[in-house]
Amino acid sequence: MSKSSSASSRVRVMKFLFITIFVGIFLLDSPFSQTDWESWNKAENNYQLPNNFRHRDYSFDSDNPAKFFVKSLTNTYWFFISDVDGDNCPFSPSCSSFFVQSVEETNIAKATLMFFDRFTRDLNIFKKGHYPRTEDGYFYDPPVLYSLNLPIKYLPPSEIINNE
Amino acid sequence: MNKILICAFTFTSILFAQENSKSLLNDLHSVKNIKAFADYLFCSNDYLRAAEEYERYISFEKNDTAEFKVGLSYSRIGNYKLAEEKFNSISDNSIFNSSAELEYYKSIFQQEDYRSFRIIYSDEKPKANDLRKLYNLSFLFTEDKFPPKEEFISPFDSLERPDVNDFYDFRIEPPYKNPLAAALISTLLPGGGKIYTGEYGDGIVAFIATGLFAFLSYDNFKANHDFRGWLFAGLGTFFYAGNIYGSYASAQIYNARINFEFNARLNLYLSEKNYFISEIKFCE
Repeated sequence: MSKSSSASSRVRVMKFLFITIFVGIFLLDSPFSQTDWESWNKAENNYQLPNNFRHRDYSFDSDNPAKFFVKSLTNTYWFFISDVDGDNCPFSPSCSSFFVQSVEETNIAKATLMFFDRFTRDLNIFKKGHYPRTEDGYFYDPPVLYSLNLPIKYLPPSEIINNE
Repeated sequence: MNKILICAFTFTSILFAQENSKSLLNDLHSVKNIKAFADYLFCSNDYLRAAEEYERYISFEKNDTAEFKVGLSYSRIGNYKLAEEKFNSISDNSIFNSSAELEYYKSIFQQEDYRSFRIIYSDEKPKANDLRKLYNLSFLFTEDKFPPKEEFISPFDSLERPDVNDFYDFRIEPPYKNPLAAALISTLLPGGGKIYTGEYGDGIVAFIATGLFAFLSYDNFKANHDFRGWLFAGLGTFFYAGNIYGSYASAQIYNARINFEFNARLNLYLSEKNYFISEIKFCE
């Protein structure tokens, strides 16, 4: 009788130890365990449409009077028309930025011709497949291609251009 | 009793787990296994990691095949500069010496520095016929003076000659558009120069825009609206002049596209022929 009671008390002690150890492991484990977000490196996605369709420089910084004149015209156009009208130019750089960059790269006379040629290309509705695209989906058409300086670095329409 | 046994097994496995994994780790990093892993990566086309593993293996044990495969790995991931260095460092006593020399020239060629390729090629040592093929084709990528046609195609066999002939003829007389002609055509007919360079849409738009402003100007002058007449005349003139300028630029871009497509076609041809170098099969 005493043997069976001591055996049952030993079983109870073992049971107690066993449960204590496993419960202890579980209790210690859960606060330090990795969550699924950590192990799968959850990305903080933002599903809002970005409102940065043009990173515009409104400054009047210029190293010559021609550029100052063009920049003033462009800033006025951006502020009163383009920003209100929204993201409509399918090209990158946009036609107004193309004009400013053309003046920077060449001179105002050449830049004016380049701008009117660009405007003609903008009016053409069959542009698809003629220009490489930027990551944002604009047709990439930089002034350097039209400055008449050789050699020209041709970019095929299949190319995707990095926004930077 | 059973529970004691379960506890004993559980704690024993935990205590000895580290020891087992340590010994397994040592075994995995044995020289033999590094080579086996490098071979596996190489044959799985994981060339960047294969090169790293081969280099690790070579640091323990010198091996001609591994050195050659390091060069091949860099070549296949497009790091031609490093491939050139690796192939150049392979010793003359190596069994891969002749293959390494060909791969060395191929790496220089693939760096698109064709003039350096020709300078290095032109040393006193006699060269394999396949290298002569590469030497001749290198002229097609530059504006340098070409060898005569007979001399140019002489290293190529009868199967290769039709293609090489085409490439040669194309380079001698490329189907360029004349920018001055494009500008002149646009002067005579607005948009004509763009159509000449294949930009049909732009040409038609230029014709309509110039024509429309010219008509608006004429119509306003006729109706004695002088200000509007001059305004539309000015805009029409800018569109007209811009189109002449744009036609010149368009012909230049057309020619750049012709060159780009030719180079792409030639590179594809060379790549399909493996630059006339017979490939050593390591993964069969």
